[in-house]
Formats: sequence, C-alpha cells, structure tokens
Amino acid sequence: MTAARSLPTFTIAFAILYLLSVEFNWALFTYHPALEEFGLLAQKPKDGPAMYWYGWIATSAAGAFVIAAAASRVPAGSASRLRSGLAWAVPLAAMLAFVYILRGYFTK
Amino acid sequence: MIIALLILHGLLAVALLGAITHQTIGVWLPAHGNAESFVGRMRAVTAASYANAIIVLYLLTATLGAIIYPAYRLNVRVVLEQMQLYWQNGAFELKEHFVTLGLGMLPAYWYFWRQPLANELARARAVMTALLALIIWWSFVVGHVLNNVRGFES
Repeated sequence: MTAARSLPTFTIAFAILYLLSVEFNWALFTYHPALEEFGLLAQKPKDGPAMYWYGWIATSAAGAFVIAAAASRVPAGSASRLRSGLAWAVPLAAMLAFVYILRGYFTK
Repeated sequence: MIIALLILHGLLAVALLGAITHQTIGVWLPAHGNAESFVGRMRAVTAASYANAIIVLYLLTATLGAIIYPAYRLNVRVVLEQMQLYWQNGAFELKEHFVTLGLGMLPAYWYFWRQPLANELARARAVMTALLALIIWWSFVVGHVLNNVRGFES
C-alpha cells in the first residue's frame, strides 16, 4: 500500500484512539493553564484546572501515525473499499459515542 | 490579545463555513444544465476546488481555537459552571471532541478529494464532506452561543 492509501487508516485509528484516550485519560501530557506548565502524561490538577485535550490529541495522532505507517507496508488489496467506508463510519460512530458519553449535560 | 485572536478565530470560521457549505451543496445537490439563480450557481460550484482551502482553513481555525482554549477554560467555563448552564457546557464539550475527530478526518478527506477524483471514492467523499460540514456548523453555532451566553441567560 502507498503512503497516500494509508491516510484513511490514519483517520480510522485516530478516531478510535481519541475516543479511548478521552474515556481512559491516556493523555501524553497535561497542561496546567493557571500555571502555564506542561507535565508528562495525565497529571492531577495543580492550582487550577488541568487540561488533557492537547495530550489526548498527541496520544491519538502518534498512535494513528504508527498504525498508518504499519498499514502502508501491507499490500493493497480488496480491503481498500472497506477502509474507505470505515474512514467516515468510524469517526461518525465516535461522534455518536461522545453524544452518549456527554448526555448527562443535556438531561440535567 | 485573546480578544483579537478570538475575532480572527471567528473570521476564519466564517470563511471555513462558507467553503464547506458550498462544497457540500456542490457534491450532494449538483446543478444540471445552466445555473442562473443564486441557488443554482451555488449548486454549480466545482466542489473539488474547495478541498485544499478547507483543509488549510480548518487547521488554522482549530490551531487558533487551541491557542485561546486555556483562556476559555480559566475564565468562561468556570462561569458557565457557576451559572449551572449545563447544556451550554455540554455543547462546548461536544464541539471540542467533534473538532478533534474532524482534525483526524482531514488526511482521509484529502485522499478522497485528491486529483484525479476516483469514481470508487465518490460515496466516501460525499459522506466525509457532509460529516465535516456537520462538525463545522456545530462548532460555529456553539462558539457563537457561548460567546453570547452571558447576554441572554445571566
């Protein structure tokens, strides 16, 4: 598979990893905005809120990059149509999962 | 400085909204024959020509959003929580996650729209564009609601 053909794989992996990162707080780093400090991995809040969003993106992007790079070494086959479909279906499923996870905000 | 960045973020979002809306209409409701009306000309746009601009605008808008996000986290979200504005807080949480999923979709989006357009990717291209349009519209509306929230529910 060429590098360009592995881009849908990146998208699929990114959506799954991002959902998992948020759910299990797999932040590669934490930002403490009140202190303007970064810390490695998920840390507890210090003197104000902790922001994990940047760390979740970093975790997901790094993981998806590795998976897409590995997928680019697999010969292109009949799975390419499936991969194209999953490239929109998996992010859509992740969006619906976030709506479900955050439903409490809309039912209070 | 944050206000200036917020305004720039909003202006880029307007450009992005226009581009993705034109592309989505162009790909889902293409015009056939001569397009003379306003709507007809909108449907007649060359959808593919928007792809790179949408990627650049999405990246710029999201980057600016990420830069101003700490100020929101420290100064706005706390107020929303104190005012018990739950759905507004939830709407922003959804925006945050939708925008991130959209970022991850951009590589596949670029691949689906790269020239020459592949016929076998037409469905994926159309659905991916519609999903990005949904994300961008949601983010735009939520951003505006939160920007004005203290004016209408305080």
